[in-house]
Amino acid sequence: MKKLFLLLLMPCVSWAQQEIPLNDLRAFDQPSSNWTIEQAVKANFTDTSFQVSAGKGILVNTLRNGKYKRSDDLKFKLNHGDIRLMLDFMLPKGANSGIYLQGRYEVQLFDSFAKKQRMKFGDCGGIYERWDDARGKGNEGYEGYAPRQNACKAPGLWQSIEIDFQAPRFDAAGKKIKNAVIKKVILNGILVQENIEVSGMTRGALFEKEAAMGPIIIQGDHGPIAFKNLRYETYEKPTVSLGDLNYSYYEGAFTNLQANNAIPLLKAKATEITGKTIKVQKDFLLVYEGELNVPEADTYEFITNWTGKGRLEVDGQVLNQGDYWYTDRVSQSKALSAGKHTFKLSFSKDFSWGNRALGLFVKRIGSHTVALHARTSLPDPEAVGLIEVKAESEPVYQRSFAFHQGVKKTHVIHVGDPAGVHFSYDLNQGGLMQVWRGKFLNATQMWENRGEPQTAEPLGLNQVLDAKFPLVISGQAQPDSVNNAQWMYKGYRIHQGRPVFMYQWDNVLLEDNLVPNSNGTGWTRTLSWKAKQGSNPSFDLILGTSTSVVKVQPGLISLDGNQYFVQWNGGSETVQNLSNGKQQVRIPAQGNSISYQVIW
Amino acid sequence: MKHTISILLICISTFALAQNPAAKTEKDFYEIKTLPIPQDIYLEIGGIATMPDGRLGVSTRRGEIWIIENPYQKDSHQTYYRRFASGMHEILGLAYKDGAFYCSQRGELTKVSDTDRDGVADRYEPIYQFQLSGNYHEYTYGPVFDKNGDMWVTLNLAWVGFGEGKFSKWRGWLVKISPDGKLEPFAAGLRSPAGYSINQEGDIFYGENQGDWVGSGRVTHLAKGDFAGNPGGLKWAKEPNSPFKLTLEEIPDNGAPMFEAAKKVKNLKLPAVWFPHAIMGISTSDILQDTTGGKFSPFPGQYFVADQGQSKVMRMGLEKVNGVYQGFCINYREGFQSGILRERFGLDGSMFVGMTSRGWGSTGKDNFGLQRLIWNGITPFEINMIEARSDGFEISFTQAVDVNSVKKAASYALRSYIYKYHHQYGSPIIDVKDLTIKGIVVSADKKKVRFVLDNVRQYFIHEFKLTGVKNEAGEPLLHETAYYTLNQIPSGDKVVLNASNSPVVEKVVVEKKVSKVENAKGSTIISDNEAMALLKKHTCVACHAREEKLIGPSFTDISKRKYSDKQILALVYKPNPKNWPDFATEMAPMSHVPAKDVLKIASWINGLTQKRANDALINRD
Repeated sequence: MKKLFLLLLMPCVSWAQQEIPLNDLRAFDQPSSNWTIEQAVKANFTDTSFQVSAGKGILVNTLRNGKYKRSDDLKFKLNHGDIRLMLDFMLPKGANSGIYLQGRYEVQLFDSFAKKQRMKFGDCGGIYERWDDARGKGNEGYEGYAPRQNACKAPGLWQSIEIDFQAPRFDAAGKKIKNAVIKKVILNGILVQENIEVSGMTRGALFEKEAAMGPIIIQGDHGPIAFKNLRYETYEKPTVSLGDLNYSYYEGAFTNLQANNAIPLLKAKATEITGKTIKVQKDFLLVYEGELNVPEADTYEFITNWTGKGRLEVDGQVLNQGDYWYTDRVSQSKALSAGKHTFKLSFSKDFSWGNRALGLFVKRIGSHTVALHARTSLPDPEAVGLIEVKAESEPVYQRSFAFHQGVKKTHVIHVGDPAGVHFSYDLNQGGLMQVWRGKFLNATQMWENRGEPQTAEPLGLNQVLDAKFPLVISGQAQPDSVNNAQWMYKGYRIHQGRPVFMYQWDNVLLEDNLVPNSNGTGWTRTLSWKAKQGSNPSFDLILGTSTSVVKVQPGLISLDGNQYFVQWNGGSETVQNLSNGKQQVRIPAQGNSISYQVIW
Repeated sequence: MKHTISILLICISTFALAQNPAAKTEKDFYEIKTLPIPQDIYLEIGGIATMPDGRLGVSTRRGEIWIIENPYQKDSHQTYYRRFASGMHEILGLAYKDGAFYCSQRGELTKVSDTDRDGVADRYEPIYQFQLSGNYHEYTYGPVFDKNGDMWVTLNLAWVGFGEGKFSKWRGWLVKISPDGKLEPFAAGLRSPAGYSINQEGDIFYGENQGDWVGSGRVTHLAKGDFAGNPGGLKWAKEPNSPFKLTLEEIPDNGAPMFEAAKKVKNLKLPAVWFPHAIMGISTSDILQDTTGGKFSPFPGQYFVADQGQSKVMRMGLEKVNGVYQGFCINYREGFQSGILRERFGLDGSMFVGMTSRGWGSTGKDNFGLQRLIWNGITPFEINMIEARSDGFEISFTQAVDVNSVKKAASYALRSYIYKYHHQYGSPIIDVKDLTIKGIVVSADKKKVRFVLDNVRQYFIHEFKLTGVKNEAGEPLLHETAYYTLNQIPSGDKVVLNASNSPVVEKVVVEKKVSKVENAKGSTIISDNEAMALLKKHTCVACHAREEKLIGPSFTDISKRKYSDKQILALVYKPNPKNWPDFATEMAPMSHVPAKDVLKIASWINGLTQKRANDALINRD
């Protein structure tokens, strides 16, 4: 059976990003003194400002003169039309900013961390309202779009946002013929907006009128915010078009897609490539030949889809060929000089089932992917409805297979909580695999049809953890996995609706209990143990292993490059440098239990 | 010539049945009662456990255990569903013992209990953790408790284009697990052992699905150290605690029948009963011996074998000859709502039937369901038992037979055949031979008939079609076709053949053929009624319907492919599953169906699109 869930028909080209260097402020147009280049910032999730380390690499806004001026907004020199923009940002508590595409259409950045109420357009990842005084008092605002869910991380952590924007289109007379579209907003890996058309500009736009081009503007008026990894791709470059298209259609079996000396049944000029011209159920050969008008010398990627046999040749060189199902994406790049080139697309299907699908796309860096085939020539893949497990009124737990850092784990339980925080846990290892906030679990890959992957995935803002059992004998190194000869999973008991995991480790009975913290901003994990008589074990708790450990304040560190916080009470940490270049943080355990929190 | 006559007879009798309102059907004896399921519950049943207090435990593929109150719906009491446990991973087996549930998740045999007695489970303890590779096909079934309180579990092979057990320990095996978690490997060679049970003598039987190394569905008795045929899990026979040693290299893969291989491979266990593919199901699931002492069926001590794909329950009668189990299978009750995975007896001797068809289509259209099979106490005219004799077989009936009908040679069509044993998926039937009846002896009470046969072959499946046999009221058998697997030929007395017991051969007068409908091209197309009779006779309708997608494509969809009649014939004999990638279940080769019948069906199928086009033209004004 064909499994199509994860395949997207539109080819997803790894986009070629350009990066805006943050060694200085040269990329920006007359930045105000609020904006500086620094080496690092950090903050507790309760802080309203950053601790700044001087240096290069990140862009920081610090409100210096207390009062907002329009000139405190940061204007990029980059002028853009369609754009895909990706950047990381850090907010302190209560921060408010926004990204204005073309200086006109705002995607909101806001500290919506742990907000429990329904999301609004003013929340992080929202598309802020348009405004029209003529609509009457109280009704001036319109076309605001709330994010699909709260995907905002804690203040003091780096967050990521990706915006795919399609600029409005204008005719030769300057009249707008197509509205701007926010194609996608992906906040911290969560798709929060898709294909939102906006009829006009956001209220705070820098310009009076909409236009084909404009600069990115970052709102700098509401206090501190930091940015890094500013990357983008624009699409102004011209790309390949078809010319002098002809097709030949043969019936019968043609091995290797060679017509040889056969006389085509049909042979004519064509306006577009389509597999739909075929008359018979099977045994045909369809050949399109024509010109590729290449506007500028560059490398062009050719992407094909077909059901059956196919072959694409450009200037006589075979690029893509083989037997495929139409959802398979086949791609190859070729450097082409400016001017006319020849291509030949051969397509044959010697079986009667399946769609007569034929697709040819071309992609150039700096230009959109363009379909050179007719819209109807390539069907959409089969869509499958979401099977969601909800955790709304009481805690929910569900076992499944699940991927962790590319490895499929088979004895996994996911725990969802009405507090809005959830986690996945490897029962065989006593390891916390991931924690997330928002919607609970996507069980489609497990419960649709046979559920061949048998996996379940988080539906919310996810933070991947190392999935290792965190206790070690005092002073000993943490193994990659527990020793199953000495360490035995004993099941779980349900306490206040949540599983408490039980293990036997030699002579020690262990319990691992995770409870949402008091604000619902993370999990409090408590490990407790009872030793059998005569033994007196002493443990260290590994708080985390990370490329870098940021000590925010006593009892609070942030890990993996300010991706999540670990907080604990009492006991000072030791940071060890491991042989793999990572740093490991541990604290000694006293008594019969130890707790820590994960906040993200 | 004989063949033609028998087919015509079948057609005639089928029509006679169809036209006679008094003809008895399964419904007249065996009632199917549907339990209502609340709309928001996905009761995709993987396990059923009858509770001694009258409630019913049901486990689901979505990992829940439901306790159903009033499952018998007695005195108008309504069913009520309480969720006892949740969050487990595809529970395909459930048992209830001493106040706790025991179930198999994919990776674990789990005890689930309610320690604070609030009606909801609060403790999930592993009895045993199974290795898993992450392949979806590594299903785990059970447990079934034995008298000692040990738990039996079967472990499905992974599917990687063929059945593979090497990724995770004891895949392809039947294992015994003690309450304190000690595993004892018991028997191997299992492919897809979704159903198994222990009979009154304490012997364990499992049902196997057609597949690689499995020519057809079957039920096999497993003794310690038995190898049931699929070598996917043989890697584990190298383990020190394996009860036998065997490697893949020692197994012949030449397409010769399994019994030939068994002559060389000591541990290879032949099935007790073959269930001919597509006729007696397509995916054998649960097995249950009727231990209700006459409450469940008129056949106490016999076995009831379910089929997932064909949504039916079949009957199996076993005898032991020279210490080896063998016997026959016959249809019992079809028409369940979904694909049957589980059978368990209720306290009243009715049978709970638990169903799911997600991922594997079934004749019953519902995605899942729970029904009860209840005998109304009236005994139909049925084959009761078939037993092997030194010179043939003895068939007993539930009612006295009409001696005239029984003595006629034309009342029977008997033949034998077998399947290939090879790594390919499934098998056509091979080595088909007709059987000739040499003598027929009716017992004094007219309830037993002894058949002396030519050409009885050890190890072969013997097909009995008793189309002409009537009871004293002139009624035909409720089910006229049975399949006996002859592992052993018993010694014992032989019938002395003489004129009094030789079969009566009559000349059959065949009416002139009615004129056929001619299509535009001049070839003959049979009528819809004739087509349906053929489709039913050859069990095509178990998987295909005219308009609807069942397990296989509809006949209308097939007709759209515009195969020639001969191409359809070729595909019926040697299906090409790649032609229908959207269908989960591969079609079995149906080479036992006579070519002329297939061609008749093919031309009827191809007429469907033509007919539709004609209808469209007619409807145009």
